[in-house]
Amino acid sequence: MNDPYSVLGVSPSASDEEVKRAYRDLARKYHPDNYHDNPLADLASEKMKEINEAYDAITKSREQGGGGQSYSYGGGAYQSQGAGQRQYTGSNAQYVQIRNLINANNLAQAESMLNAISDHDAEWYYLMGSVYWRRGWMDQASQLFRTAATMEPGNVEYRNAVQYMNQGGQAYRPASGMDMMGGDAACNLCQNLICADCCCEMVGGNLIPCIGCR
Amino acid sequence: MYGYVRPVKGELKVAEFERFRGVYCGLCHELARRYGFLSRFLVNYDFTFLAMLLAGPEPAETCPRRCAAHPIRPTVCLESCESLRTAADMTVVLGWWKLADGAQDGHGAKALGYKIACRALRGAYRKAAARRSDFAGAVEDNLRQLQALEEARCASLDQAADKFASILRSIGGGEPTEDRRRITGELLYHLGRIIYILDAVDDLSEDIASDSYNPLRYRFQPADGRLTAEDERTLRAGMQLSHNAISGAFALLGDNPYSGILTNIIYLGIPAATQAVFAGTWNAGAKLHRERSSL
Repeated sequence: MNDPYSVLGVSPSASDEEVKRAYRDLARKYHPDNYHDNPLADLASEKMKEINEAYDAITKSREQGGGGQSYSYGGGAYQSQGAGQRQYTGSNAQYVQIRNLINANNLAQAESMLNAISDHDAEWYYLMGSVYWRRGWMDQASQLFRTAATMEPGNVEYRNAVQYMNQGGQAYRPASGMDMMGGDAACNLCQNLICADCCCEMVGGNLIPCIGCR
Repeated sequence: MYGYVRPVKGELKVAEFERFRGVYCGLCHELARRYGFLSRFLVNYDFTFLAMLLAGPEPAETCPRRCAAHPIRPTVCLESCESLRTAADMTVVLGWWKLADGAQDGHGAKALGYKIACRALRGAYRKAAARRSDFAGAVEDNLRQLQALEEARCASLDQAADKFASILRSIGGGEPTEDRRRITGELLYHLGRIIYILDAVDDLSEDIASDSYNPLRYRFQPADGRLTAEDERTLRAGMQLSHNAISGAFALLGDNPYSGILTNIIYLGIPAATQAVFAGTWNAGAKLHRERSSL
């Protein structure tokens, strides 16, 4: 493993507070929620793992060496969830298979299976939207999600997807950064959190308790 | 090229601004070295961004140089290096195609101007296309497909944007490792998407007036040459998603000497350009003026 201090970008003489801050900044940057259904999610989760290991290594060595610096902060770091862990128990076996293909980033096959289905129900539109989303075709994806949500207004998964798209998703942004929607980034923070939580749930995770537990 | 991908100058540190100018001027000198004096007119901010994005982790050599634009006080230019050579080659390839496109689509004196420029740069294009045959092939293929979509008056914004975005993504193919190829490719794909959409928004009223193709005309229902507030919101939310993808990819690229400037461009420059284009304050005249006067 690389030197844990250089992974976190701090010097070995940094205070506990500085180490913690560096860890939190990096964890915020590479948090799986920023890579929700993202083709680079695997690379981000490797990075997250590296950061978690570095942080754990530092806290452990400091606990052993410098008495009285015990951490109540432990209990493992931000847990990676999301990509690949989607739990789905639908009735239609074909859709289950398509979801698995989408999660494995096998978009071409997922799309051809969808195209072979002639009866287009709400889930069909939702899954087609997911294929487009992964491909980076955001506009078409949002239209398809909207169609799914209109056909089945009670479905939380579809509604959350529409909401997530309307809000402009979620991403890491430096404190002074601007967004593309013409609003102030900070104003949208709470909305984004709530929204990201919905989205997290969409892939089988839960963001708000996940922050709350830290 | 388009000029949307630039830093917000006031937010750069002085040292960062000088480094940025060093890359811009270095690119201009590199163009002259590789492709002769005329190709210098193709230098632009978008490919300056590319040269910085592709730069290695170590600082490159610099050297003070004079030129026609800086005859008295030399600028500290980036010396020839791999990323600068790549950016110069791609500037010529894409710049030449853009001129060719202008010659085909334009009318009267403007089209003639493009035609003359195209002819004058043909030698430079051939040289660059031979050096970067993969990229030149991707440009030609995608532009041909885009032209077919234009003729069919394609109403899918994503499909039209995909062509230009794919051109930029292909630049990532030259990166040294598989991970970097994926990361850079993803970043550039979404950057290309944003540039294409901004250009479409910028040209919308003009394209409606001249009955030219613009994907927004068919995807939305513009009134009086403008998108409705509702359509604008939808479009910008979609652009935000592409910007998020850029953020995610950028975070995975390691630091290099230009990280501060790249951060400025991604998180301030592109949103500011987007704001200006939607507000209608980014018109063609101002575009040219800014391009010439700010460095």
